[in-house]
Amino acid sequence: MATARPVVSIYNFENPSEKTGTMPMPVVLQSPLRPDLVREVHRDMAKNKRQAYAVKPKAGYDTAAESWCTGRAVARIPRAPGGGTHRAGQAAFGNQARGGGMFNPTTIWRRWHRRVNVTKKRHAVACALAASALPPLVMARGHKINQVAELPLVVSDGIQSLTKTKQAKEALKKLGCGEELQKVIDSKSIRAGQGKARNRRYVKRLGPLVIYNEDNGITRAMRNIPGVECAHVDRLNLLRLAPGGSFGRFVIFTEGAFKKLSDIYGTLKSGAPKKKGYTLPRAAMANADLARIINSTEVQSVLRPKMERYTHGIKRNALKSKELMEELNPGSTERRAVHLKSSQKGTPEYDEVQKKKKARIEESKKYNKEHKKGDETFYKTLMKAFEAKAAADAAKKAAEKAEDEEDEE
Amino acid sequence: MAERYAISKVNVPEGAAVPELVKMKMEKEEKLAEEKKQALAAKQKAREEERAKLKERTVAYEKEYADTAAELVKLRREAKLNGNFFVEPEAKLIFVVRIAGIMKMSPKPRKVLQLLRLKQLHNGVFLKVNKPTLNMLKLVQPYVTYGYPSLKTVRELIYKRGFGKVSKQRIPLSSNDIISDALGKHGIHGMEDIIHEIYTVGPNFKQVSNFLWPFKLSSPKGGFVNKRHGYCEARGGDWGNREELINELLGRMN
Repeated sequence: MATARPVVSIYNFENPSEKTGTMPMPVVLQSPLRPDLVREVHRDMAKNKRQAYAVKPKAGYDTAAESWCTGRAVARIPRAPGGGTHRAGQAAFGNQARGGGMFNPTTIWRRWHRRVNVTKKRHAVACALAASALPPLVMARGHKINQVAELPLVVSDGIQSLTKTKQAKEALKKLGCGEELQKVIDSKSIRAGQGKARNRRYVKRLGPLVIYNEDNGITRAMRNIPGVECAHVDRLNLLRLAPGGSFGRFVIFTEGAFKKLSDIYGTLKSGAPKKKGYTLPRAAMANADLARIINSTEVQSVLRPKMERYTHGIKRNALKSKELMEELNPGSTERRAVHLKSSQKGTPEYDEVQKKKKARIEESKKYNKEHKKGDETFYKTLMKAFEAKAAADAAKKAAEKAEDEEDEE
Repeated sequence: MAERYAISKVNVPEGAAVPELVKMKMEKEEKLAEEKKQALAAKQKAREEERAKLKERTVAYEKEYADTAAELVKLRREAKLNGNFFVEPEAKLIFVVRIAGIMKMSPKPRKVLQLLRLKQLHNGVFLKVNKPTLNMLKLVQPYVTYGYPSLKTVRELIYKRGFGKVSKQRIPLSSNDIISDALGKHGIHGMEDIIHEIYTVGPNFKQVSNFLWPFKLSSPKGGFVNKRHGYCEARGGDWGNREELINELLGRMN
């Protein structure tokens, strides 16, 4: 990680307020954080310590039961043979039968273990180590590290020679692990579930993991402190570094162990000297600070500016809304006002309209007087249409009358 | 485009140290805000000019409508005076409304209705009158009713139910900008331009009519007579050409 601290202080185990030196941060502790990888590898590795369980192979089938077949007014399930006992004639074999076998009996040849690629396992350990160097992750895992001077916590090699548990406890307390150790003690409780009856009665939280290089008594000293675990730096176990699949274990390194990390894992360029063919994992992104990338001038300079969205709002009806009509049809309000005026008495527009009307009527009257005279009047022209019919009717009547007179004669 | 810049205000508490990135952002936003202001001012000016022109055009259109109507009256009177017959001008514009639902439609009329953009019940479109369109209407006669809309009908339809096709979306005509953006290149910048182009079936009728999304009308208040039969049949019906009387129907459907 580009933002990692370059140098780590080493604390004197007897007097942790004084620092005996500094050491460069090993590249392992700057590995990219991959919780998904750690979770996956832990899941598979954790399966490897399982012991097989299964029902007895013959469970439920240790009878000479046979079905009575049809015709005997009983269900066709196999029944125990014989007589003289309750058991005779009772159902057997089926999972539904009392005393019968289970459905799909569990077997010992279930695939209990999982193999994990070596590189994957190594990457997971590197990742878990890196996480243990970050206070927020360690705190998130639940460790109480408020009094701890710095992470990664590196202690002088003297701690490896401690033989007494009392001394070890004091040393840890002086290093600021008191709260952590107390947390472990307080957390001891009876396990929920059947495990309590299976020699796993108590559960408690995990405390610090002390990673050492040379065991001159440290394991024996730390062994009985509740929560504290020890591990040799050559043999780091993911199941201890990321218990439950969550990385960020509180780890205390000894000086020798911390130095050895660089010897074991090396750098990205050199590869790992002690792990043949292995190089530490590389990050997918060199710079994972997305905010900074997006807001950088290189990116912003080629983006077009952000635009407001088009909003059309609710459709309004211009025929009802005068202001919308004015918006869509500029000048409509004033034209409408002028038009309305022409029907209001007293306005010049009204007078104008009335004048025109009067003139029109005058004109019409004049025309009629001139042109529609005598036979051209409306009445006469109308009656002319009936003349023909009247004449025809009269002719018909006359004809009938003439006929009648003829007949009479 | 600059008038649509989204300027975000960065709130920096008094006396606080401003982070580098925030500072960069503030400078950038300032520059964009300046551009936006200028663009808005220019747009406002352009808008006022455009509105003035539109106003003039609208007055001209109203005069044109009045004049054409008066001309017809004059010609009719003249013909009567001279004892001639005045041949009314044939209609140029048709408004078609789909009467039939979508179920059980024969393929040919179905296709024609699709081509006419009448894909839903009570959808309406404006059509130019020419041989091809008349023949198409012949094919779908029993499924549509159509006629010659009056100016009032055209206006009301477009103002009340006018939606435009803007990048394949049905956008309400709530502003002349929408029309100007879509049809500006044909010289149509506002509602009255659209109405004029449609009613007088101008040279850009096709573009304008296509821009208008098919009108989605309500079912007529007071109902149809009988959609199964033709309008012109004695027993009373609704489909087919009802000429001027489409206006009465549309008054109830709009």
